[in-house]
Amino acid sequence: MNARQRQPQSARWQRVRIVKSVQTKVCVDGSLMKEYVLDEPLTEGFLKFLEQSGTVRYLDNLKKPYFSFEKEQFISIKGFVGDESVEVRYKNEFRDLMGDYFQLLLYYYQQGVPGREKLNGIDESLKEKIEIRLGT
Amino acid sequence: MEPGQQNEPEGLIYLNNAATSWPKPPEVIAEVTKSLQNPYFEQGRTTAGGAIDYPVATRETLAGFFHAEKPDHIIFTQNATDSLNLLIHGFTRNATASFHTITTELEHNSVLRPLHALEMKGTISLSTVPFTDNHVSLAAIKEAIQADTRLVVMTHGSNVLGSVQDVKPIAEYLRANDIFFIVDGAQTAGHIPVDLTDIPVGAFVFTGHKALFGIPGIGGFFIRDPDAVAITRQGGTGTDSQTLTQPVTMPERFETGTHNYPGIASLYAGIRFINTVGLGEIARTGTDLTNMFIRELKRTKGISIYNENPDLPVVSFDIAGIDNHEAGFILARAYNIIMRTGLHCAPLVHECIDGGKGCIRASFSYFNTRDECKAAAAAIREVAESAHR
Repeated sequence: MNARQRQPQSARWQRVRIVKSVQTKVCVDGSLMKEYVLDEPLTEGFLKFLEQSGTVRYLDNLKKPYFSFEKEQFISIKGFVGDESVEVRYKNEFRDLMGDYFQLLLYYYQQGVPGREKLNGIDESLKEKIEIRLGT
Repeated sequence: MEPGQQNEPEGLIYLNNAATSWPKPPEVIAEVTKSLQNPYFEQGRTTAGGAIDYPVATRETLAGFFHAEKPDHIIFTQNATDSLNLLIHGFTRNATASFHTITTELEHNSVLRPLHALEMKGTISLSTVPFTDNHVSLAAIKEAIQADTRLVVMTHGSNVLGSVQDVKPIAEYLRANDIFFIVDGAQTAGHIPVDLTDIPVGAFVFTGHKALFGIPGIGGFFIRDPDAVAITRQGGTGTDSQTLTQPVTMPERFETGTHNYPGIASLYAGIRFINTVGLGEIARTGTDLTNMFIRELKRTKGISIYNENPDLPVVSFDIAGIDNHEAGFILARAYNIIMRTGLHCAPLVHECIDGGKGCIRASFSYFNTRDECKAAAAAIREVAESAHR
């Protein structure tokens, strides 16, 4: 049994890191799509973390359990629980603001509750910048 | 994955043949390999000899396949889009004043964009004819004709609805009225018989990488009267090299620069493969798979099919409760089933059938099996049921 297998399920998310970006493309609507390979498969724990700041859709009656996450104006994510790759999309209008938001999600996810609070603070700051840009 | 590391995908169900057919017949792969293993031979361009002159042999094969009288009136291009650009811009360059052009709502952007660009420049005025029951009628074309109509560009088969257009009466009417008629056969060539002796088109466009089983990067067109289209490209032809003007003889008039020999070799082998199997057998297989797939989809709650009776092996549908791109993503990543989602480069069709949001398209080839169809339909059912919960 290796070190990874000995760890309890709750701690496994702490290892999630981006290994590489395998695909980057600008979509028809101008949004930027990136596909990342992670060093650990995504878990339901990550979805629970995401649920606190946006809409998670989870379809578990498929060959692989599919999820999507939408945080309007910030990011959308598609992938499968148990997979080590994930597709991330940033809206064209705010790509410059959101450039590394997925990495922020992974980074603060591993910190648990304190991470969530820090991320909420960053979200507020980003929201302000979005509102200024939108003139609202 | 780095280039060169890609292996043949295991268990892949490929249903995106209306975009590019896959797999290719072994004969095509062998011919391309053979073409790469020998020095190229083409009259006027090399002292090598003894090998196949692929451009000449393929032109003759294509002329036989499409029942075109003159092989030299078959021109090689990169693909159907390239052919359409060459023909549309070449035809308009011959005009001395702005004129009226007709196209249809069924068209691909390979037709719509060149025409739109010319309309924006004021080179042409443009009418876009609607379709009814997935078809454009001669009556609709007649209704759109104006005193200065000189050009009609129209698809032979819709890449979204799979409907084959009855171009013969339209071609006869337009020819009688001296209107140049370009038919886009990107979706029909290799699926249904095309008899250019019987259908008096001005030009017929095809591509190699779809149902003709060639590789991407090779296409072409047949032109009845080469003088109808101005020369828009100049360069080396391997002939008449002492003159600084482009030769007006065919096919040099429209073909310039070194040919895509592997692409032409693939087309040569692809058509020979079709001739060996028989176009009728290929069409029967496509119809059988398509009908079976539609039957399966109709049994599934939450699926809307946009073309229940296609003439070509193309089925466009929507799954309620889930975005098409998401459905395509799930089918590809979880089930290893490749289709195409979105607007399929035919935005006007989608405005009519789904309000412009796009759909999922499954398109079959001779190499698909009934088991693959069943597996794909079962996967779609799982996605639809899951989205419905």
